[in-house]
Amino acid sequence: MRVRITGGRVFDPKNGIIDQVRDVLLEDGRIIADAPPAAGEEVVSAAGCIVLAGGIDLHSHIAGGKVNLGRLLMNEDRALFPEPFGDFCGCGGGRAAPTTHATGCRYSQMGYTAVFEPAVVGANARHAHLEMADIPNIDTGGFLVLGNDDFLLNLIAKGEGQQAINDYVAWMLKASQCCAIKIVNPGGINAFKFNARALDLDEVGPFYGLTPRRILNTLQRAVSELGVPHPIHLHGCNLGVPGNVRTTLATIGASEGFPLHLTHIQFHSYGTEGDRHFSSGAAEIAEAVNANPHISVDVGQIMFGQTVTASADLMSQYRNHGIADPKKWIGMDIEMDAACGVVPFNYRDTSFVNALQWAIGLELFLLIEDPWRVYLTTDHPNGGPFTSYPHLIRLLMDKPFRDDHLGRIHKAARAHTRLAGIAREYTLEEIAVVTRAAPARTLGLKDRGHLGPGARADVVLYEEQADREAMFAAPRMVLKDGKVVVVNGEVVALTEGRTYAVHPPSDPLMDKRLQRWFDEAVGMKSSHYQIADGEIRGGQGPEIVELDP
Amino acid sequence: MASGEPNAADAPRIVRDVVCGFCGLGCDDLEVAVTGRAIVPRKACAEAARLLARSDAPPPSPRVNGAPASLAEAAAAAAGHLAAARAAVISGLGADLDGLRRLFDIAMAAGASLDHAASAGLFANLERLARRGWIAATLAEVRNRCDLLVIFGEDPTRSYSRLFERALPAARAVDGQSADGIAAPLFAPDGRRVVMIGETFSAAARSALSGHALTEIAVPADQVATAAALLSAALADRDVGAVSGLPEDAVAAIVTLAGEMKAARYGVLCWNAATLPPEDAAAVAGAAAEAVDRLSVTTRAAVFPLGGQDNVTGAHQLALWRFGYPLRTVVGAGMARHVPELYATAAALKDGDLLLHASAFRPTPPPDFAGGPVIALAHPDTVFAREPDVFIPVGTPGVDHAGHVFRMDSVVCLPLSALRPAELPGVAEAASAILSHLGRAA
Repeated sequence: MRVRITGGRVFDPKNGIIDQVRDVLLEDGRIIADAPPAAGEEVVSAAGCIVLAGGIDLHSHIAGGKVNLGRLLMNEDRALFPEPFGDFCGCGGGRAAPTTHATGCRYSQMGYTAVFEPAVVGANARHAHLEMADIPNIDTGGFLVLGNDDFLLNLIAKGEGQQAINDYVAWMLKASQCCAIKIVNPGGINAFKFNARALDLDEVGPFYGLTPRRILNTLQRAVSELGVPHPIHLHGCNLGVPGNVRTTLATIGASEGFPLHLTHIQFHSYGTEGDRHFSSGAAEIAEAVNANPHISVDVGQIMFGQTVTASADLMSQYRNHGIADPKKWIGMDIEMDAACGVVPFNYRDTSFVNALQWAIGLELFLLIEDPWRVYLTTDHPNGGPFTSYPHLIRLLMDKPFRDDHLGRIHKAARAHTRLAGIAREYTLEEIAVVTRAAPARTLGLKDRGHLGPGARADVVLYEEQADREAMFAAPRMVLKDGKVVVVNGEVVALTEGRTYAVHPPSDPLMDKRLQRWFDEAVGMKSSHYQIADGEIRGGQGPEIVELDP
Repeated sequence: MASGEPNAADAPRIVRDVVCGFCGLGCDDLEVAVTGRAIVPRKACAEAARLLARSDAPPPSPRVNGAPASLAEAAAAAAGHLAAARAAVISGLGADLDGLRRLFDIAMAAGASLDHAASAGLFANLERLARRGWIAATLAEVRNRCDLLVIFGEDPTRSYSRLFERALPAARAVDGQSADGIAAPLFAPDGRRVVMIGETFSAAARSALSGHALTEIAVPADQVATAAALLSAALADRDVGAVSGLPEDAVAAIVTLAGEMKAARYGVLCWNAATLPPEDAAAVAGAAAEAVDRLSVTTRAAVFPLGGQDNVTGAHQLALWRFGYPLRTVVGAGMARHVPELYATAAALKDGDLLLHASAFRPTPPPDFAGGPVIALAHPDTVFAREPDVFIPVGTPGVDHAGHVFRMDSVVCLPLSALRPAELPGVAEAASAILSHLGRAA
């Protein structure tokens, strides 16, 4: 069955098509080359609409143990935001930590068709995959958290060669069925287990005697040599600490030419200037990102209101638990792999710090020049729920709207941001880049994020409106793999997604070593830690992302 | 799961590294001999051995009103009852994740409350976890880091006979390959101390803990919560004189223990809420969490609550990710309401008009209920006090079919494998058959 989407203004930056009125043809779940109208094809009018590929969120905590702990703590948020009644209700809800069904529906309703869980802990990976399988209408994938795992730190500390590291990383990626490597506070989560309370980039950690820099560089090399498309996805040292802009700049300098993705960089762009000793480091960070083409970032914009923060960085979450709102929080040391900390937050525009965080995020979006190296995120739910994306898009595209909001935040914070002086407004092309083309490219998803022949038939029609928030909140139509799943912002069908993974090869000797490690140290069988292909999405198996060594 | 060398047709097949889904400790190194459909455990704790053992006897067929029926007939009868019910109660929930998903689908389609047979301890712990939170550790962290373990209440080996072997191995040289230095405990080089506040150590516990320093602080069962509060107060440097009723020597020992915990690198507090007096379990959980809060200012510590029987942890996790609430929730008509006081099984049955009981791990009969039809998706050996209106015998996850269960620490989810050819449907298959008659395909 062929579908012709006709009369829309197409924005497909990857293929150099910007604001051209042209047809998009879909057949058997794929986009096909333009062809003359044929009998029997279905025609969808996109008149008055812009046409984009399906949205891709490469950093959103949607599944796994820490998200479930967030749900446990956020019962009021859950009660306030039930799923709407109707044929597509899953009896769930919640906004800060939505249920799986609600997650798929809400993303789908905004025109997103792929979302990546950026912090899968190996020991909890099976759980994360079970949740992902329950999320309808979006494709998913997980980033495996390494860099605090005792097996790895032991390998590095003993001076084992890069090949052993690579074999281990490859083994872990396949075992956990993940598609990229994330490092959270390299060495810091592990150091906190030994009661260290901070660990800066060049500080030597306890027990293993390793610096975060060394852990970072070792894993960067591994990912690069294995050919995992997405570079190391780094949640750096000193998250949230005033003055961490120095650490972040040093980290950019530490990347030794390997590509590096700095995630939720807003939380890592704080100076210590001013009488409150908290200031924006956005300009320095943006300058460094602009000057270093091997660096990409996602922002982790904060949005005002109630949310919950869920992170593997227990060292940082412990530091922050005193400002939990409401006053409850959960921490966990996890299985020689990592940890987690779940702390509810309520970001207030009347708070100097929160207001300045909001401004810092927007400064970063607007001062980093190359949209191909900035991805739109709120680090859901840590900076704010993903449902705030349409509002965020309007803040980026609409200077008067942004200024109006700037006028409402804490007065002293306003004086500490240069936001009012930034004239830039994102274009529709740039929105298509930061929410589609760029995340697809960095994840190595060649058939996503664009509308060229061979691409997955994930297509979104947004009705042109001056109010960009309204426009991006309720697309006229969303097609997932060629199937219409949303009309006028309402879910009209549910479909199963797929899960992306990479399967780099590893030396069988590493399997033997890990059998012993699991037997002796961990106390379970390595064979039960590894997730079989048949366990992914109820037997569907993973969609393998091609390696590029 | 690794299979042994091939045998002659009638010789037993040895299956190694069997994963156990019964108690929640998640041992995954069991061994059984399988001949046809008969299973003889070779390496398993007594509880697992009892629950894994199977004869070659043919399984019973489903029954409707006591008369043999096909699965389709039984499913249709169950669906008919469910469609007519206005206040259905789903109890037991002893199933693997896939079975639970289908049971939850039934609840959504027919409207029903959900609770697990072993949720009492979980809910005592949630009094603390959901309202205030805590810092916890998983099994491998305890195994490698814990240098001081404090246990409240009964000797845990009574319910988890392999707990100490798994969680607290003593330091030892590894079979000639110790150069790797990978044998647990990796980070407790100076030995471990284990303190029991409540019962004394059984001979089995002492044997499993050989190599560790043991301390007993004997406290009557009804004063364990007081003792826990005392430890928490002593850690907070509060006046402990006000905590009364405990033997003087116990008070002194607990004050001493507080000092030892402050000096420890990674203290762990452990209790089994299911075996504490119900009115005290939440207090113990709260005191343990407070103790960790206090200790964390200067050192590291964590709680390690015991529990997790028959995949109650998996049911809890699934309820959270599906509905956004823990168990003891009613779902249906597009909504979910979490009211633990109303939807705990015993309370729900007072107003219920149908009971659907699922118990695939062990032959636990449904709770007493006379307010309407009873549907049992139950272990084939279940002995019913009253014949259920519909009985569908189901296979056991990890025996008759594969599946997933959560370990008690709620982080590790384990894959169970089938040990023998299935002749019974799993809970998922039985529930799907019911769903198909409710007009909702699985």
